[in-house]
Amino acid sequence: MLRLIVLKRVKPIPFSGVLIPVVSLVAGILLSTVILYVLAGIPPLGIFNSIKESFVAPTVVKDTLILTLVGISLVIAFTGAIWNIGSEGQIHMGMMFTTWVALFSALSTMPLWAKIVSVLGAAVFGFMWAAIAGFLRAYTKVDEVPVTLMMNYIAYYILDILVYGPWKGKRTYGYIRTDEIAEPLRFQQLTVFNIKTTATWEALILVIIVFILTWVLLRYTTLGLRIRILGSNPDILKSAGISVPLTIVLALAISGLVSGIVGAAYVLGDTYRLSYPLEEHTANYGYLGILVAWLSMLDLRGVPIAAYIVSALRNTGTVIQIAGLGGVGTMFVFIGSVLLTYSIVRIFSEYTIKIVVRR
Amino acid sequence: MVVEIILGIAPVFATYYLTALGHGLFEKSGVLNLAIDGLFIVAATVAFAVSVYTLNPWAGLFAAIVIDALFGVFLAYVTTKFPVSHGAVGLSLMFLGYGLGILIGTPANFYARAKRLKTTQYVFAQTTLSETLMYIIPIVLGILVLLLLNKTKLGAAIRASGENPHAAAALGVDVLRTRLIAGALGYALIGAGGALFVLAWRSGWDPKIYLLGHGWIAFAISLSAGRHPLVTILNAGIFSGLVKYQYNIQTMLRMSTEIAKMLPFIAAIAAMVIFNITPLRRILAPPASLGKIYYKEEKTV
Repeated sequence: MLRLIVLKRVKPIPFSGVLIPVVSLVAGILLSTVILYVLAGIPPLGIFNSIKESFVAPTVVKDTLILTLVGISLVIAFTGAIWNIGSEGQIHMGMMFTTWVALFSALSTMPLWAKIVSVLGAAVFGFMWAAIAGFLRAYTKVDEVPVTLMMNYIAYYILDILVYGPWKGKRTYGYIRTDEIAEPLRFQQLTVFNIKTTATWEALILVIIVFILTWVLLRYTTLGLRIRILGSNPDILKSAGISVPLTIVLALAISGLVSGIVGAAYVLGDTYRLSYPLEEHTANYGYLGILVAWLSMLDLRGVPIAAYIVSALRNTGTVIQIAGLGGVGTMFVFIGSVLLTYSIVRIFSEYTIKIVVRR
Repeated sequence: MVVEIILGIAPVFATYYLTALGHGLFEKSGVLNLAIDGLFIVAATVAFAVSVYTLNPWAGLFAAIVIDALFGVFLAYVTTKFPVSHGAVGLSLMFLGYGLGILIGTPANFYARAKRLKTTQYVFAQTTLSETLMYIIPIVLGILVLLLLNKTKLGAAIRASGENPHAAAALGVDVLRTRLIAGALGYALIGAGGALFVLAWRSGWDPKIYLLGHGWIAFAISLSAGRHPLVTILNAGIFSGLVKYQYNIQTMLRMSTEIAKMLPFIAAIAAMVIFNITPLRRILAPPASLGKIYYKEEKTV
């Protein structure tokens, strides 16, 4: 009889930071290919081709920037072992504030100020939305996964109420959505060597600023150190006299802050409006970000690379959808398969599995 | 009048209660079950697809139970055999479940439309008898689960695996086998709940089904009832009433539809908070090793 035996490694596997994400990506993509072939009859070669082409597709630049931000946001929370599944909701809170500034506030005539206030305000909204879940997790010990996840639904419905009601636009051709945000308020298209991309200058600047600030936060500040200890051994925090609940709230809320900024960048740089119902128009960046954060092995330097790969996978899903062979389902199969193989392959950094034949 | 209202809630109650009951049974064995919403969708979709193709809702119900039980066994195996994060595996199965649901359900939905099938051909008939049974059978199953957990050797093994798997293993309990059984039984119940969602409650399937989050409501129902089969009846009843009549409450209070859709989620979060800050958490304490990695050094010889 064959038996699997899990053993602890004496030394961690070399290059695990690169090997593990690569192996799990390959295995995950193979698993999704099998699933897509069996259930939807999509030919594997077609999927491989779409993936290959997706790495150079124009939309990938835009998605990479946005997903880098979401990835950074989630790395902050995950470093503290706080599983923020509510990025989706925090992004929508940021989108809500940004839309209000751009369409309804007095700032809508002052483009530069409108952009700055949008980003800062969106950050505050994301921060506060995540802080609610943070307080519940820290002070009533309710698991943050179901709470952050259910708060996503609540966030969708809050925006639905606004878009269906007071924010419904006048020039929408019968669709239920807000008016478009005026041209000067939008983020400016990024051009590289005279080639227009789908990304924006402002998004690029935001990514750089947020990346540096997060790097400093996690590496060189006391709060960052506390968040890192929270993830490895919260008891040490307690014995050092540092409030564990407060650290939890801050880890989740700062993560939400970055997600809120994503909301601003998404509305001003991509959709330019909100469409009803929000839950059906979402790009699911909040969920894709989970994949980015995990594939980066919670290392900030890995986040842009992981974001690029996940963007290509997302684009593959869209390409297959255009061919009429799936849709958002394909994307979820990719996310699920890669996360599944990743969470299993990850154990090889510390453990090894032996197959023993027993009579 | 009152009887009619109560009977009208029956499909909702059966869906929520069976799902929450199965979830609680599985978590009693110490595996954190974050896959619930995705696998609820898988069950709902498999039930729909099989009923549509065979025009036999019983076949759909059976298929959903079997498929979800297999997923439950897989989840229990991976989380017990390997030192993996229960949360990560559970969430990935959730996403996979959404994807599988959409991929399986979409063609079945086209098929049903192309064949001009009437819903009555592939869902359970709504009669007073069937609605009464949708109370009686789940509650009987709940009592059986309670007896299983408290009066049998297997139940003691399940509880021991949830409280302290290492101690249980030292006393001769095969933790892996126990959790596999708990996974199969628990997910069989979740599968039945998911199947009734399309075969009795909603009477049909649509591609946006994965956006509804009923699995998470069931998660909250079970958690705030301390995973106790009988307390879960009460909680499931309250939530069923709330969800079934959310639109009546909405028109009564003149709220917008979205506020009505939001209510169950706010109530679910509130229920979990109330459970945690009151003595309930002490009386119906969650399994001590819930979601903890179970790793035991094995001898190679």
